[in-house]
Amino acid sequence: MENIVLSIGVAAFAGALAAVAGAAEDTESNIGSQGDPNSQVQLAPQMGYMHRIFNKAVAGEPPSWALWIALGAGVAWAFMAMNVNPVLAIILGSVLASFVQGVYATTAYLGRTASLAKFGQPVYVDILKSVTPVTTAHAFVAIFATVTICYLMNAVLGHPFPLPILGIIWGIALGAAGSAVGNPYYGKERQYQNQKFGAGVPISASGNIVRYAEAGERSSLDNGWFTAKYAGPASGICFGLIVFFELWRHLIFEHYFGGWGSVIVGGIIVLLITIMARFIEVWARKTYGPYTAPEKKPDEEAA
Amino acid sequence: MTVKVEASADAIPHNTLLIVGLIGSIVCIYLTYLNTITGLDVFSFFGGIGAIIALIWGTSTIKRLCSYGIGTGVPSAGMVAFGAGIIAMLVGTKFGIMSPVAALIIAAVSGAIFGYLADSVLNMKIPVLVQSLAELSIIGALTIMGFTAMATGDFTFGVLTAGTISIFGFAVPAAQASFVGGGITAVAFMLGGIAIQHPFNAALGPSNTQDRTLMLAAECGFLSMIMMAIISFAFISMGSALLGLLIAIIGWGYTYAQFIDLSKRDAADWLDAKMIVETED
Repeated sequence: MENIVLSIGVAAFAGALAAVAGAAEDTESNIGSQGDPNSQVQLAPQMGYMHRIFNKAVAGEPPSWALWIALGAGVAWAFMAMNVNPVLAIILGSVLASFVQGVYATTAYLGRTASLAKFGQPVYVDILKSVTPVTTAHAFVAIFATVTICYLMNAVLGHPFPLPILGIIWGIALGAAGSAVGNPYYGKERQYQNQKFGAGVPISASGNIVRYAEAGERSSLDNGWFTAKYAGPASGICFGLIVFFELWRHLIFEHYFGGWGSVIVGGIIVLLITIMARFIEVWARKTYGPYTAPEKKPDEEAA
Repeated sequence: MTVKVEASADAIPHNTLLIVGLIGSIVCIYLTYLNTITGLDVFSFFGGIGAIIALIWGTSTIKRLCSYGIGTGVPSAGMVAFGAGIIAMLVGTKFGIMSPVAALIIAAVSGAIFGYLADSVLNMKIPVLVQSLAELSIIGALTIMGFTAMATGDFTFGVLTAGTISIFGFAVPAAQASFVGGGITAVAFMLGGIAIQHPFNAALGPSNTQDRTLMLAAECGFLSMIMMAIISFAFISMGSALLGLLIAIIGWGYTYAQFIDLSKRDAADWLDAKMIVETED
């Protein structure tokens, strides 16, 4: 009975940590300008809109977060193998992974901006100095919280996967949650406000991002200031719920098949979701069919 | 068939980088075999150097592949390379001293199959796809093998899966304390997978230059090598791990400073705390 109570407590604690991680991850990616809204930031100089926004084009959020978390977990694992206290090991792993994130952020900004020389976009060194530490600080919070979740799953709940493998899986999940939930706020609600309804898609409006603030020029820190209130908590709730429900699956089925029961049930759930998605797709195709141009009435044509 | 658009004219042709990269990384990975011959583990850092050489070659391959209009596919190319490469690398380690060569051959075959499927079955119709994916798989396998050799001092399956944990002072064999069993392969996978796609992805644009892109590849390689050197403290002796860490930090510091200088050279302007420069309409 005590064991069950402990497990439920760990699940709740991990869910809370995941909420923090999700909020920090999304704020990090918005301050650094990563993910799909960054494509318009990248396009802006080409269309004649010079700007002072960061350009952290490392990869999509899921692959880059898979690296930061797997690296944090791997280094923590190595320190624990050297008999370092787990809390200290996780902190050291997270610090080193945050360092790698910071270096990748600077090389991405310098590389992308230097390659835009043809359009006259200059490198603003003060952006590197002021924005990089802020994005790295948020990255540290997210990495530390997520590596701690992985450690709790591995050490307390007895998950059969080793720490770095859990890191790669939860890193992809964290990046995907932040990217899917948080990016609309950063894109539509912030960067594309020059367009009606925040639409950044029309080609004629390509690169027309918001470059000036209420007073002065907008920097990526202003974007983080805005998204930290809306996009961050939304991403945090998303990732927190994912981790929380995910751990319930583990708690209920872990005792079957020598600890692998929860993995097998996970596979079955993925299969069920795939079948559901297929049914929805087939239903949508049958109901709405291929795109047809709207029929024009004769009087409209005359006009 | 897609139209080829050159990102920039290259001073060093791709084939030169291919040959130098292939031979250089294989030789460096084999130099770690001096560990087995001498019974020491000071030669482990050669694995990291081999991985960096493979990554520089890989950057050139990705640039060549992506000149056929694969914009957002740049990071995916890195993932494909290492996905195919890690299988080849793990199977290859079963062949003892022949491991690097075996991994190379298996990676070339599996990469060519992936390339054929993507090119002809999925109808992507990119002329260099089969060769590029074969190259990328080899690069993935050699990079992971290089980082593995750097962390553990060895590249054979037996060593990579055998570990010991100490319980009350007694050494007890435990697979979960080994390189593969502990999941450090996942770290090597991601360190290489992001490092191979980042240089071209980050230097993407009309003013791309080859020397800056390749310098960034070396920088990413050394940065990954620093992290593998820190992990190697868990597997090899303190002195050897420190040597690897020192070489990695010096290499990273040099390439990072060089990359900043090259960015300064290529940038339209280098401003500190200045206003937005509006262009004339």
